Amino acid sequence: MAMFRRIWTIVKKEFTHLIRDWWLPAFMLFGGVLELVLVGWATSRPITNLPLMVLDHDRTASSRAFFQTLINSETFVLYDYAQNNDEIASALDRGLINAAIIFPPGFESNLLSPSGRPSVSVLLNGAESIPALAALRAIDGAASVLNEDIALERLGIPRDRYAGFFPSLRVWFNETLSEALYTTPAELGLMLEFTVLLFAALSFSRERELGTLEQLLVMPFSSLEIIIGKAVPVVLIGFTDFLLMLGMVHLVFDVPVRGSPGLLMLLAFGYLLVELSKGMVISVISRTQHQAFLLVLLVGMVDFIFTGYAAPVESMPQVLQWVANVVPAHHWLAILRGILLKGTGLDVLWQNVAALAALGLVIGTFSLRFVRRAL
Amino acid sequence: MTIIASANQLSKRFGSFTAVDAVDFEVYKGEIFGFLGPNGSGKTTTIRMLLGLIPPSGGLVEVLGSDATTAGLDLRRRIGYMSQRFSLYNDLTVSQNLNFYGRAYGLDNKTLNSRIKEALDMSGLVGRERNLTRDLAGGWRQRLALSAAILHRPEILFLDEPTAGVDPVSRRAFWDLLYNLVRDGVTVFVTTHYMDEAEHCHRLAFIQRGKIIAYGAPDEIKRDMMRGEVLEIEPADPVRAVAELRAAAKNGVLDLEDVELYGAQVHVVAQGLQEQLEGIAVVLKSAGIDPGRMAIVEPTLEDVFIACMQ
Repeated sequence: MAMFRRIWTIVKKEFTHLIRDWWLPAFMLFGGVLELVLVGWATSRPITNLPLMVLDHDRTASSRAFFQTLINSETFVLYDYAQNNDEIASALDRGLINAAIIFPPGFESNLLSPSGRPSVSVLLNGAESIPALAALRAIDGAASVLNEDIALERLGIPRDRYAGFFPSLRVWFNETLSEALYTTPAELGLMLEFTVLLFAALSFSRERELGTLEQLLVMPFSSLEIIIGKAVPVVLIGFTDFLLMLGMVHLVFDVPVRGSPGLLMLLAFGYLLVELSKGMVISVISRTQHQAFLLVLLVGMVDFIFTGYAAPVESMPQVLQWVANVVPAHHWLAILRGILLKGTGLDVLWQNVAALAALGLVIGTFSLRFVRRAL
Repeated sequence: MTIIASANQLSKRFGSFTAVDAVDFEVYKGEIFGFLGPNGSGKTTTIRMLLGLIPPSGGLVEVLGSDATTAGLDLRRRIGYMSQRFSLYNDLTVSQNLNFYGRAYGLDNKTLNSRIKEALDMSGLVGRERNLTRDLAGGWRQRLALSAAILHRPEILFLDEPTAGVDPVSRRAFWDLLYNLVRDGVTVFVTTHYMDEAEHCHRLAFIQRGKIIAYGAPDEIKRDMMRGEVLEIEPADPVRAVAELRAAAKNGVLDLEDVELYGAQVHVVAQGLQEQLEGIAVVLKSAGIDPGRMAIVEPTLEDVFIACMQ
């Protein structure tokens, strides 16, 4: 009973600091939400309207028809007609266009002649690889339609009598392949990590920097009471932040919660405790808040790679895949995507849950012993 | 005399550096015990060992009858600690700080309220309960820190450089508060590098480079440690007078232990000063310096410690 009263004394003091220093809680609560709005908004649309430049040496109905197909796909918008190759090179250099298409003389005659080999040159701006890939897909699509037309024409097969190979494509979990459905859960998971890690990392480094830690240690608090007292605000604010972010992506970006919300809450809470443990270790090894902040940034950057946000973990070198297994954020992201998008439960996610629990147990035990000894 | 805290061959090494080197001292109940020394001499390290914040590398440290290194919450409840700069949370108000201290030591509401009232009276902060601590001037903050540290009525109070960087009037007021505490039966262990404060202590230990080089009541220390008498001179040009006298001592013209500048005055330490008065005046006059007033005075602690350190 007396122990709870003492813990409550510390919790109250921590919240008084937070009210005074309102930037920190404001960042904790709304920084993540703001980041999610921006990411969700920026990635909510498919890639369209890439500027395209055309150099048409052929100037025929066929050449016009082909690039008109590209523009009708909405992937491209006509930037300008070029008069020569230099204009294209200059536009690419200055980043004015993402793609250029060059029709050689005789494009149409090659197209119509029974043994002609019609061809076009396409230049893509690979410096921006994601638009370049979108451009490549659109051009490939238009080319294969044209190919089919040429083949049918030359073989003399009427269109209505032709049945080719059509893969029937269906995307599960994210029917429209919306970027937002992929990026916002990843961002949500990461923001939760950063928020909790940073907040926890400041808890002791702040008092050490200000010199008040010594006074706290001389007071009749056990180290466990101090740790719990410092952890409670982190957990409360971290979890509130999670709920705010989840509500936001659900309501604004239509990210579904297909699995059990209860399970999600429970696992989010568990994940939060793991990050809290990491943050506490950073907190006691840092002499200043500045140092703690930089360490959080370092840990966060490493974890970021293994969340599969930038590149899928499955396509990483084997060594990095092993490393990914000991990164809690990696399992957390798998759980988050599983529950939100796939609607899976423990029957599927148990491996990630077990891994997270095991990591949590190891990290938590280590952290508790380490921090207690450091205090 | 009841011993309330003691160190026995207490040492602390950080790597190859020995911060505290086999020190012995005893603090008696109801006294102000001064722990005096220059910056970096091991004062803070010693106080941290007494508080149980860091374990000693060797020796024993006892506070209130328990080993300070292993003592738990019960011992901590009976001691108070204050360091001038870092005791309070600057972003909390005066009353929030006092509340936190009181709650930390488990005071009930009724006791807490009456103690907070007393603390505000004592620190002269009545009516400023809602001021942020960081907005208080140094002297107020220091008195607030002291009242917070004694809110739970500790039996022994550890003060680490409590008056560093505080103006002389506030320092004086602070020491008056300490005397009041001692009258109420509290024992005070205080570190300082101010010599005038050391004179106010009942007993002292002077620590230098981790070793205690003088120990006892100020008068005892002056009697036992002082080699020779002290002559106070007020010459026209004190800086040049010091140089001249030191040169004369070095050349064997005069037999002096030490010559030090004390503001506008010069202190000369030597045996048999009475016989040398004439010679000193001659040296100064031949250098064209008017010796002015010359008088043999009681040594101050500063004289003693400067003598000890050489």
